[in-house]
Amino acid sequence: MALRKLLLAHADERDLTKLAEYETVGGYESLRRALGMERQAVLDELLAADVRGRGGAGFPMGRKASFLPKPEDSSKRIYLVVNADESEPGTFKDREIMLRVPHLFLEGVFIAANTIGSNLAFIYLRGEYLREYEVVVAALEEAREAGYVGKDVLGSGWDLAVVVHRGAGAYICGEETGLLESLEGRRGQPRTKPPFPAISGLYASPTLINNVETLATVPKIVQMGGEAYARLGVEHSAGTRVFSLSGNVVNGGNYELELGTSLRELIYDLGGGIPDGRELKAIIPGGSSVPVLTAAEVDTPLDFDSMAAAGTMLGSGAVIVIDDRCCMVQLGLRVAQFYMHESCGKCTPCREGTRWMVQLLHKIEEGDATQGELDVLLDVCDRILGNCLCPLGDAAAMPVASYVARFREEYQRHIDEGGCPFGDESSLKGVLAPVDQHHARLRAEIEVPTGP
Amino acid sequence: MSAASTLYDRIREVAAQYPESRSAVLPALRLAQEENGGWLPPEAFREVGDALELTPAYCKAVASFYDMFHLAPVGRHMVEVCTNVSCALVGAQQVLEAFERELDAQAGETTADGEITLRTVECAGGCGWGTVVVVDHRYREPVQPADVPGIVRELRSGA
Amino acid sequence: MSTQPQPELVTVTIDGHELQAPRGQGMVETAASIGIEIPVFCYEPRVGPPLGACRMCLCEVEGLPKLQAACTLTATDGLVLKTALTSEKAADGQDAILEFILLNHPLDCPDCDKGGECPLQDLTFRFGPGTTRMHFPKRTFDKPIPISPLIALDRERCILCYRCTRFSENVSEDGQLVAINRGASSVIATFEDEPYRAHFSGNVVELCPVGALTSTTYRFRARPWEIQNVPTVCGLCPVGCNVWATTREGKVARVLSRNHPEIHEGWLCDKGRFAYDHLRAEDRIRTPLLRVRRRGFQEVSFDEALDAAEAGLREAGSSIVVAFSGGETVEQATALARLVREGLGSDSALLPDDWDRGLAAFRAPLSAIQDAEVCLVLGDDPVVERAPVVDLWLRAARRAGGRVITVSPAGDVQVAPGSAPQVCAALREGNMAPKELRETAKRLRAAERIALVWSADDPTGGRHVGSLASHLHENGQADVAVYALPRTPNGRGVAEAWHALGEGRTEPPEEAEIGALIVSGDEAGHNRRVGELAQRARFVLTTAMFQSDLTAWSHLVLPGTSYLEREGTFVNLEGRPQRLRRAVVPSGPDELEWLAGLAGRFELAVDPWAAPSTAEQAPLPPGDEFAWTQPDPQAPTGKPAGPGLELVRYRALFSGAAVERVPQLQFQRPGLEVELAYEDARTREIAAGETVRVSSNGTSKELRATLSRRLRTGVVRIAGEHAEGLADRVQVEKADA
Ligand SMILES: Cc1cc2nc3c(=O)[nH]c(=O)nc-3n(C[C@H](O)[C@H](O)[C@H](O)COP(=O)(O)O)c2cc1C
Ligand code: SF4
Ligand code: FES
Repeated sequence: MALRKLLLAHADERDLTKLAEYETVGGYESLRRALGMERQAVLDELLAADVRGRGGAGFPMGRKASFLPKPEDSSKRIYLVVNADESEPGTFKDREIMLRVPHLFLEGVFIAANTIGSNLAFIYLRGEYLREYEVVVAALEEAREAGYVGKDVLGSGWDLAVVVHRGAGAYICGEETGLLESLEGRRGQPRTKPPFPAISGLYASPTLINNVETLATVPKIVQMGGEAYARLGVEHSAGTRVFSLSGNVVNGGNYELELGTSLRELIYDLGGGIPDGRELKAIIPGGSSVPVLTAAEVDTPLDFDSMAAAGTMLGSGAVIVIDDRCCMVQLGLRVAQFYMHESCGKCTPCREGTRWMVQLLHKIEEGDATQGELDVLLDVCDRILGNCLCPLGDAAAMPVASYVARFREEYQRHIDEGGCPFGDESSLKGVLAPVDQHHARLRAEIEVPTGP
Repeated sequence: MSAASTLYDRIREVAAQYPESRSAVLPALRLAQEENGGWLPPEAFREVGDALELTPAYCKAVASFYDMFHLAPVGRHMVEVCTNVSCALVGAQQVLEAFERELDAQAGETTADGEITLRTVECAGGCGWGTVVVVDHRYREPVQPADVPGIVRELRSGA
Repeated sequence: MSTQPQPELVTVTIDGHELQAPRGQGMVETAASIGIEIPVFCYEPRVGPPLGACRMCLCEVEGLPKLQAACTLTATDGLVLKTALTSEKAADGQDAILEFILLNHPLDCPDCDKGGECPLQDLTFRFGPGTTRMHFPKRTFDKPIPISPLIALDRERCILCYRCTRFSENVSEDGQLVAINRGASSVIATFEDEPYRAHFSGNVVELCPVGALTSTTYRFRARPWEIQNVPTVCGLCPVGCNVWATTREGKVARVLSRNHPEIHEGWLCDKGRFAYDHLRAEDRIRTPLLRVRRRGFQEVSFDEALDAAEAGLREAGSSIVVAFSGGETVEQATALARLVREGLGSDSALLPDDWDRGLAAFRAPLSAIQDAEVCLVLGDDPVVERAPVVDLWLRAARRAGGRVITVSPAGDVQVAPGSAPQVCAALREGNMAPKELRETAKRLRAAERIALVWSADDPTGGRHVGSLASHLHENGQADVAVYALPRTPNGRGVAEAWHALGEGRTEPPEEAEIGALIVSGDEAGHNRRVGELAQRARFVLTTAMFQSDLTAWSHLVLPGTSYLEREGTFVNLEGRPQRLRRAVVPSGPDELEWLAGLAGRFELAVDPWAAPSTAEQAPLPPGDEFAWTQPDPQAPTGKPAGPGLELVRYRALFSGAAVERVPQLQFQRPGLEVELAYEDARTREIAAGETVRVSSNGTSKELRATLSRRLRTGVVRIAGEHAEGLADRVQVEKADA
């Protein structure tokens, strides 16, 4: 198992952002086919494909879609919302898909919308992604002119309007209910669940929310059939995923792999290994919110179950490679800073806990912390875990707790030696979390420490 | 007055895309920000609020939640350096410091001549090609400290 | 009105106790029903659906791995809940949350106004960690900043439960108090630190579960253990919200709401909450004043005053007019009516409000408004200025999916000023001009539950809206409720008291001199005719709390008292008799006492003490059987159109003798503004905020222009107190033009 181009097929040879090019490789055939099928039949293919969400939670797509009421039974309008807010640190795969195979992605959106009987779909696109926005909008325009979207799609009598909605810089809007709030024109603070979006989502109506990559697989599933798709990958982890490889690795970038491929193959065979003759120290396998793996675990296969067995998660498929120059306390501090900065401020444990974590980690890094405070740090993580309104708090507590657990001696040395054993040598030395100008301005009025 | 009314019309137009006009707050604030030299003065919130039948307080509450809206004046150009883990691992800090030297401004500040604002941002989503620097909303990846003087020269020359 | 179907009962288990609860009932309430307290901070059902933000209520639910926010759970069959009492895990969770909440919360309870009545303080004492493990500087902000002259905000104490902001967004819908920034930087704020100027702002003080929001009128004034709370009723508008008057050393220190779910759900307007300080105003009249020729007023004893009153009245014979203010208690109004009618043999009265008995058939509690499918609001007066809480109910109705249609010069359906009677006639007779009403008529005919709100003065005592209601009723509409908003707090009770002694009432004579005029209360002066009558009266006897033009006309002035100083009965706009309690004792005898005294002089026995029978939380008397026998009233023909713009004036809630005497309330009074329709502003090239000249026959005023997208073209609106002297049609132009 290794490279397996399914979504990114032909993208190296052709400019698939052009409709004509995309059509020459069978583009929009799946949409045509799907429109010819019963809605339920398409849904059955998705169920058979057993494709799990690519956004992070890994929930089976077919199942989620089947939670929605059938259009004929729903008094309310049904919506499809695309989560294109890609912001999990280390992740840049949706971007690749939108830039290189926008039509494949859109075809997936159209099919999914038709399957759930929606006439209005929203693509919530990360605000910073300007070029991606331009490419997707251009592709959408092409598709509209060709009749793949709009009124009476391909003569099927079904209408679909798609609105591309740009975010404005808030990681929490990637969380599905935060996204919905934001899309409704509010501060992107997550909602309590239940009710789940499938029953009461956008404008309190039935809503299907899927990630860009998840939707981009839909045309492929319709094309090859759910059964066939399910044969790709390994058990409970069907198909391929576009993995984002970054950090201390020679060839960073996106690699579409069959699930079950090992980290070693990705990092060494494809990624060219660790540069500057350094040693592999740790791997973050699924974006900064998942527990870390040690170099010793480099043979772990990239699939849901194997990662779970290793005590971590596949998450967003972002593999961050860390070499031996990195201080794990600084890593913890930087990661904690990120989640503190992105905490929406709605629930207490996340808002207060992430801030406290940053303060403690900073003190540890400075070498001023007591043994007791290291225990407090672990306790704070423990008290955040499972007590928050949405998973963001966990996303801060889990990784940091795992850094301490797996690199305990390094944390211990900071306390025993009263300073950072790496001196100025750590690769992360000095990085600061963003200073937002409006927060800076606010600090001028009323002191609001956003950092330690 | 006329500029305001056209902003009003443009916002109403965007709002028409949505089942509920409130949904147009982010696009509306973006329009207002573009119209006001890259930031949102108090008056902008009044105009957006008037167009969407929301209070200025509400509009500011929303804007202040999102990092891409600026509640204080910014430079004509914006340089944003990603300092999240992946970029940091490959030297984002050095790139940032290079900009700070070159611009003689700290992260979060604007150059004395009000031309260029420098800020650090969280993961920009280009991790595989770090360090990612976003210049006026366009990604430059990867950027090395050595590239910094060139980028600054480019901006200074008003390109 | 509408009786909701009883929800089915389900079986839930809480801490091992099995019990039956209505499906969908909140688990916090369900637990409370068997005496189990689940601690909450952000949970406050009155401000919207549960938020699940503070996480204080974490509990264990059988079958779920994670702790759940109990405030977001509702009773479903078979739900098994374990609170901190029986679940180790829940106890740890709640302990964790409390530690997080206290992390940045200052421990300044001793000098915090909330101290002693603060949920956070209580919880901390009961479960809180004795010591903090947090050794970093706490988040600090500027010490209490005023968010208005009435309210101070201490951001350090704020625990971000979002109760205040949800009230502002979901209940009063003023959208002025918001949370800005994100995460740990979030703070509560107003736009650019402008004052929180809204009719109901004070409620956030009561909502705040900590001492973050406090009232500037109460701060540091009293400590919880030095005070007494007297249950009474607000006497400042016809809604009659139930309140606690907090007294300390014989003075009213604050007014808190006392939730009557049918009337106001515990909300109060800022007038009711903050105007109490007028009791202590410097210029309050405390002793009787007798006009002595060429020496002006002279203070006299009560006995002397009674002598003078008796003399003046005997002199007048039966040529006597009594002007009520609508602020009298029923007992007081009855006494005065008897004195005039039985004692002095006159039946000439000016009533501020009148009320047609037939309306009793359409009686319903205010809370029924939120269940109405269609709420039709008629009349030029903004509801919020006339009967504030009714505005909240209408908003609730809209949120609940009801259709609220205001028909007024600034309404959803825009009609000419003063045309509410024509609108009723049009809807009644189905002749659908103005055509904008067609839609409305259709909705009315389709609706099962209808609420009709009449927000204007109506000399016919509500017959226009009443006959519309009866037509709808005869049309087979199941539920039709009528809410005719009186102009004065107890105008309805006063009218009923007067009519109870015989229907008859003769209008005061025109022109001719009159023997005596009795003016009962400051507010009576607001009736233009009173001033005019006073000039024709040989003897003017006035009761008032404060000096005014009116007292200047008087020959004898007796000190008036406030609703907070009297025992008695008020009848609110629903027709609900409610008990007014004496919270503080006035410096001298109150109106009822001297009325009894005076009546005695005319061989009339009047009880000097009111003995109200009504309960602390008065029920609404059942509505009468439908018996509308009134002929359809003639709608007055509309005023002829003329040059210029048509002026609509309204009586601002924040006006009148009481408001004028409370410094902190001044910012709430209407600004020197004129409201213009966009079109009219455009044709005159007037921009928002510019100064314009509004003029008519001789009078001219410079006012700030505000532009409204709702106001009907050709109409301008000005608060009554800024429109004095202007005619019904005015010229409007740029001041510099
Ligand atoms: C804090 C947080 C951030 C998230 N960010 C993203 C994101 O950027 N993109 C995304 O697709 N899903 C993100 N998710 C997952 C979404 O909540 C949701 O599970 C996903 O969009 C569902 O789509 P899928 O089933 O196709 O994966 C995030 C979740 C959390 C808790
Ligand atoms: S001010 Fe009070 S009510 Fe408002 S959020 Fe803070 S704690 Fe809650
Ligand atoms: S009371 Fe339940 S989360 Fe606040």
